Amino acid sequence: MKSGGQLLQPKKRLNWIAGGILLGLLNAFAVATYGALGVSRNYVVADGFLLRLFGSDINSTNSYLSGMPATADWLFMIAPGMVIGGFLAALLTGSINTRSVPRLWKSRFGDSKPKRFAAAFAGGFLLLFGARIAGGCTSGLVLSGAGQLAVAGFVFGASIFASGIITAKLLYRRQAP
Amino acid sequence: MSIYFTIAQAATDTTGVVGGTDFRAIALGLLTGVSFGAILQRVGASSYEMIVNMLRLKDLTVMKFFFLAVGVGAVGIYTVDALGTAHIGIAPLYLLGLVVGGLVFGAGWAICGYCPGTSLVAMGEGKVDAAITVLGGLAGALALALTWDWIRPLLVDPLNFGPTSLPDILGVRPLLVAVVLTAIIVVFDAYLDRPGTGRKSSSTGKPAGNTAPGRAQGGP
Repeated sequence: MKSGGQLLQPKKRLNWIAGGILLGLLNAFAVATYGALGVSRNYVVADGFLLRLFGSDINSTNSYLSGMPATADWLFMIAPGMVIGGFLAALLTGSINTRSVPRLWKSRFGDSKPKRFAAAFAGGFLLLFGARIAGGCTSGLVLSGAGQLAVAGFVFGASIFASGIITAKLLYRRQAP
Repeated sequence: MSIYFTIAQAATDTTGVVGGTDFRAIALGLLTGVSFGAILQRVGASSYEMIVNMLRLKDLTVMKFFFLAVGVGAVGIYTVDALGTAHIGIAPLYLLGLVVGGLVFGAGWAICGYCPGTSLVAMGEGKVDAAITVLGGLAGALALALTWDWIRPLLVDPLNFGPTSLPDILGVRPLLVAVVLTAIIVVFDAYLDRPGTGRKSSSTGKPAGNTAPGRAQGGP
């Protein structure tokens, strides 16, 4: 079988059923201990940490940042935990991957690093700008929100899939594979 | 139902600290994050290809995984709640902000191929573009904070129904709603998983739709 040079081979991946059950149980465990899983708020908290580090006093004057905790809390620790979890899982399965341009991106947009980095930055900007308008992301609003049967989670979930599918179809409209 | 705090509500109701800052809270938060990241990495949710091919409706593995996690989570959460120890926080339903925020989020999702959580995981795996997405995310979150006073009256305050859950609307016990939702998800996942449909053909990202069912095995 021809491989695209991808380090993480599908055969090494965890089956989606096992993964789905594990993630569901983890979410229930989180709710049983401290609260549902969430990520996007932590970007705002991290911004607050960075601004404070650089001596800015905007944290106390800005209406949004002033509501954020000044120290790391349970929810914030999820974020560094996810970086470590991704690192350990990749390390233990031999799937550390230091590439800059994803294979599929390369096949559609070429192998320019600046181009990919610009898209990665712009995409990240839109992700968090949108998530904080809505009050959560895929984790906080869909996984946990819909998981807690909040109507908001279903509304947000439908919006992100509709917009994501349309955008992906547009980006790859000239590409058969 | 015990509502100690509202996790997704920091935007409208600045509750501050979530889950505590003592050693146990910090250690358990980190451990929960490590498990979360490891599961996402092992399933392939931190892969640009897996996410973009999901949004292109070429490979629905991550979608099936994610929906199943929502269902299992719902049953688990309301089982825990029935035992009386759940820290449940229902997100507020403000339609305009959820839809507009979701549309903006979805565009970013397709452009970078990560979400706020999976970009952290992919960064841990060593992917350089994912680290750039995290930087973009920090900038986007800051931009929202700086424009919040302008956005809030426009998108958050109007049509804001506050924390609203399906069981509230239906007038049914939450655990029953969770079980029914999970049953619907399992049927839907099984439908998506039927041979030859949105199924991963190979690591080269060939279109699943053009692949004969018998060949759609996903690897040597």
